[in-house]
Amino acid sequence: MDWDKLVQLLVNGVTLGSVYALVALGFSMVYGILKLLNLAHGDVLMVGAFIGWGVLGWLGGAQDPSVAVWLLIVLMVLAAMVGCGFLGVVIERFAYRPLRRAPRIAPLISALGVSFFIQNSVLLLFGADFRSYDSFDLVDVEVGISWGPLNVWILRVVVFASASAMMIALWLLVTRTKLGKAMRATSFDREAAAMMGIDVDRVIVKTFFIGSALAGAAGVLVGLVFGSINHFMGFNYGLKGFTAAVVGGIGSIPGAMFGGLFIGLAEAFSVGYIDDLTRGRLGSAFSDLIVFLILVAFMLVRPQGIFGKPEVKKV
Amino acid sequence: MSEQTPEQPRIGRDEWVASADERRAKSIVGQAQNALDRTPAALKLVALALPFAVFPLVVESEYLLQVGIDTLIYVLLALGLNVAVGWVGLLDLGFVAFFGLGAYLYAAAASEYAGRQWDATLAIPAIAVTVAAIGFLVGLPSRRLVGDYLAIVTLFFLQIWLVVLINASFTRGPNGISDIYPLEFFGRRVTSQQGYFYVALVAFIVVISVLYLMNRSRTGRAWRALREDELAAELMTMPVNRLKLMAFAVGAGVAGVAGVLFAPQQGAVFPANFDIVLLITIYAMVVLGGPGSLVGVTVGAVLINVSLEVLRDPDDASSLFYAVVFLAVVLLLRRPWWSSLAVLGGTVVFGLVVHEIAEQARPSLVQGTPFGEARIDEVVDSWVLLPADIVSPDGLPTGWLGRVAYIGLVAAILGLTLVRSRLWRSVALVPTLYLVACVWENLLLPQPAVARFVLIGAMLVALMAVRPQGLFGAQRVEAV
Amino acid sequence: MSPDRAPLLEVQGLSLAFGGLRCLDGLDITVGEGEIVSVIGPNGAGKTTLFNVITGVYPPEEGEVLFEGQSVLGLDPHQIARRGIARTFQTLRLFLNMTVKENVMTAAYGHTRAGVVRSVLRTPGMRREEREIERLAEERLAFFGDRLIGYRWRQPAYSLSYANRRRLEIARATAAMPRLLLLDEPAAGMNPVETHEMTELIGRLREEGGYTILVIEHDMHVVEGISDRVVALDHGVKIAEGSFAQVATDPRVVEAYLGTSETRRR
Repeated sequence: MDWDKLVQLLVNGVTLGSVYALVALGFSMVYGILKLLNLAHGDVLMVGAFIGWGVLGWLGGAQDPSVAVWLLIVLMVLAAMVGCGFLGVVIERFAYRPLRRAPRIAPLISALGVSFFIQNSVLLLFGADFRSYDSFDLVDVEVGISWGPLNVWILRVVVFASASAMMIALWLLVTRTKLGKAMRATSFDREAAAMMGIDVDRVIVKTFFIGSALAGAAGVLVGLVFGSINHFMGFNYGLKGFTAAVVGGIGSIPGAMFGGLFIGLAEAFSVGYIDDLTRGRLGSAFSDLIVFLILVAFMLVRPQGIFGKPEVKKV
Repeated sequence: MSEQTPEQPRIGRDEWVASADERRAKSIVGQAQNALDRTPAALKLVALALPFAVFPLVVESEYLLQVGIDTLIYVLLALGLNVAVGWVGLLDLGFVAFFGLGAYLYAAAASEYAGRQWDATLAIPAIAVTVAAIGFLVGLPSRRLVGDYLAIVTLFFLQIWLVVLINASFTRGPNGISDIYPLEFFGRRVTSQQGYFYVALVAFIVVISVLYLMNRSRTGRAWRALREDELAAELMTMPVNRLKLMAFAVGAGVAGVAGVLFAPQQGAVFPANFDIVLLITIYAMVVLGGPGSLVGVTVGAVLINVSLEVLRDPDDASSLFYAVVFLAVVLLLRRPWWSSLAVLGGTVVFGLVVHEIAEQARPSLVQGTPFGEARIDEVVDSWVLLPADIVSPDGLPTGWLGRVAYIGLVAAILGLTLVRSRLWRSVALVPTLYLVACVWENLLLPQPAVARFVLIGAMLVALMAVRPQGLFGAQRVEAV
Repeated sequence: MSPDRAPLLEVQGLSLAFGGLRCLDGLDITVGEGEIVSVIGPNGAGKTTLFNVITGVYPPEEGEVLFEGQSVLGLDPHQIARRGIARTFQTLRLFLNMTVKENVMTAAYGHTRAGVVRSVLRTPGMRREEREIERLAEERLAFFGDRLIGYRWRQPAYSLSYANRRRLEIARATAAMPRLLLLDEPAAGMNPVETHEMTELIGRLREEGGYTILVIEHDMHVVEGISDRVVALDHGVKIAEGSFAQVATDPRVVEAYLGTSETRRR
């Protein structure tokens, strides 16, 4: 039993999972309120990654940052959150709000258009080259936590910790604040919430802002951990994030967190062991297949996910 | 007390509505519509196919003929996607995988790599049916899934398909299969471009006829009922799940046929042929043309593919682009008749002023040469802000002007939709149009490949918000 | 109704709860062939839920539904519809963007057979079937007098007035060739004249069409005018059954609608 490998895969899985959880949260929140799958969500993450990269460059770059590293990272994350939050609000206002009463397929097609537009806009403005966060220059690899077989680079800890902090903050927001109550009410019954004096449009805007801000933060974290970003990266994270949301129970916040971890671990372990399991017939590229099978299995067997409640049609 | 009039109006008969037909027949437009309704479908098909049939006879360039063939293949794809998306309202995001399946299956049936050559009369139907069956299987999750989830599952399917294509050894990975034999009908090979064009045309005629006949039958009615209200349809004896699977299968089969035509005509197939970009392009064709309308998606496919081709060449691209913008302004600002002229004139003046100021203040902003060489570009050059060196030697964008202008343009267009008063909207349109020209010259024209997709994405969003039924679709009323 | 013939529809011990809300609680109902039975009860009594369970939209937790002596539990809704049960909806569910005639023609799907291949080839059998479907639709629409015939056939359903939409929905249900019609508040939202017409219509449906009809209604004039028998529900339980006169004066029914009070005002 290769403990080192197992532990390493665990660490990878948890790190990846916390990022997926952030993305899943955005999906879940928007779906809970609008019953809409925001297919452009992954691309919001991508924009966040680029904003973070922009801030990094503006503040001197990874080799020679003009502020302390920890402050730099905080600034990157904040900038991405704010920028993506606004991007999400704009998307909602112009691509989804006009379609509130249209059949379900219309906002989905619009979302496709938005996704395509954002991806290619970034390509247009920044070119197709992969941009690098130069994370290894930013934070020395040697810096980290070492304990037995556990050998974790500090950036991964940072990613996990910040993702967790954001999730806890979100959970507190949703359960303890008035806004959170309004969000939950709107997701149960939009019309009734409106009649109870809740400004539904504003609640929706704030939900989009928060969800997109989380995606933007996730984008920066991804850049930090994996080093390079490009205009197309959002697609994959979007798909995995969506899978995580479904597995955890779409519309449920603890579900999104759990789903993210689950998918992250599933992916890490399938990448790590797929060679062994299939005796080299399937490479690591097929880890996507595993995730897909998980998604299909859940959709067929338990579509409400782990934490969701089965949806009952009112006829 | 009123006296009974000798002739009572019949209860339940609305005379005004009942006489609608008579009134319609009195107007010219109405008479044209009546004539159109009365022409048999076969005649309409001939009218639709005639321009295509005549095309190779009047066109000599090989390039144009290739464009024609590609257009016909796109038309087939749009027709196939229309079944699931336009008629039944299912969002099939894995559609291009079926196209790829058809192409690769043909490569497996008739290439040097496979070591065999199946006659096309066997290959085409066999592959169509196989791909349809796979479409059926892919559609199986739809029984339990709401529309949104189905979209993601089909998207995942496409992803998996691409992963398999690129990584499995028997598909030869990213290099694809490149020694595909041409189509062979009863032993006679199709080797000329004209030949492939006519094969594609015949396929188009057959497919559109089959789809038309399917639509005008109880199956088509059931599909439309299913789209309207799935639960009510099921309670009115229609087997909803089976109908959805049929829609998937039929769409997939059509895509498979398109693939079978695509592979031998190109001679080679690569995984890169069947990606998300193609998917969204076909969606754009269906949405623009009119989901649910066979003629509509055909026209949509032709319009978009031709536009994309024109956009490849910088010179023609500029002419097309400015023509479209001009047309849009004229069409949108019809009332009063002089408003479009005022706006366009104002834009020209605005541009000249800005150009002058820039020339005095920072000359480097206007020293670039336009990318395109059409006459319109030369005219525009003296008018638009065009910094030198907008493009690096590798063709990548440099300089800040184009990018800032782009962000500004997006903000301006979004802001325009918020402005209520017509006057202010026209005023705000002036700098916006100027920005459009700047962005075009600085950013879009030097990168035509990306520009096309940006425009397609924007068009999709705009269409869904403003005119979801596209050009030829029927405007729908939704139950609230 | 002949007492020794088996009932057309038999609901036995039906129970269903949604979360904490119990909608049906051990419900027993029988409907004999040719009968018109009304189901009444205050809102939330479980009436529409009953229809939903009978037509296969929701599975019950307990109980049995027998149609023509055979259980229909577990069947898909379209299979139940083909067996001979058709319904209308409390909130109209028409195919709004299809024409009036097409709406009715769709329901003929279940008893027609032309498959995709035959449709594409336009075989004589398929064409004959299409003509029959059209004729059937015209016939069903003619049931409503001049309201839905001729020029109306080609109009989209969304152009119809509210009362006409209700009539169209009934026409569509009858095109499915059912033996049992479930009408969910057919007179809802209608003015007195339209209500009166609907009352006559339901009677005619039985006389001319031979349908057995189960009706949910709130308007007591309609209930009085059409019913052979009335069943009263409250909180998913049957609280009274009998003729209209019997049920209308049953104290439990009055209490369910009006609540208890020390002094009753009449």
